[in-house]
Amino acid sequence: MASRVLSGCGRLALSGLRAVTATSRLGHSASAALTSCSVAAPLRFQQVFSPFVQSCRHYADLPPLTLGSISERVLYVLKLYDKINPEKLTVQSHFMKDLGLDSLDQVEIIMAMEDEFGFEIPDADGEKLMTPQEIVDYIADKKDVYE
Amino acid sequence: MATTSRLPPTVLSLKQFLHRQQVLGLYRRILRAARQIPNEGDRQYVMKWAEEEFKKNKGATEEVVIRMMITQGNLQLRELERSLQLAKS
Repeated sequence: MASRVLSGCGRLALSGLRAVTATSRLGHSASAALTSCSVAAPLRFQQVFSPFVQSCRHYADLPPLTLGSISERVLYVLKLYDKINPEKLTVQSHFMKDLGLDSLDQVEIIMAMEDEFGFEIPDADGEKLMTPQEIVDYIADKKDVYE
Repeated sequence: MATTSRLPPTVLSLKQFLHRQQVLGLYRRILRAARQIPNEGDRQYVMKWAEEEFKKNKGATEEVVIRMMITQGNLQLRELERSLQLAKS
């Protein structure tokens, strides 16, 4: 009886090797096994489960950047920017000459790129970036994307 | 003068160029500081305010006025940074 209860618990908790051995060592009566199992199983669930299921952890892992995905994201951010006409926007269009923005807007764009890609662009570099293509190249350079 | 006539008419003098750099740097610093504001609504408000203020005065040409506005902007930025520091501690 006790063993059947234990094996049931073991199946429930899937892994419960450690839980089962612990309970069988602790108590021989079915009721003792039941209570300890029902208490222990949910508590141990996470501890016991993790080494089997999650053998390697992914800490906020992002898909790797490619030139295509960078330019897609850059253009996406620019399209959402309310002062840019999305129809006029291409990767080669100059912010001031083609899109009619001023230097303050350009500062805002660079800040938006910092937000999007999560790193800080120094002032000296930021003010040189005048087309989406230049931004893409700069980010690819900083993030070591080459293909 | 032969040297000035070769330059395009829109070119900035050294002083104007330096002021321009100062203004853009100030704007950038204000936006960076505003980013740290924890409350979403307040952050949007401060960013909007800074943008409007800069846009409103972007046509200013008098050097004295520009210098005064840069000084004022620096003071306000310092105040913003100080209150952020206080909010953090």
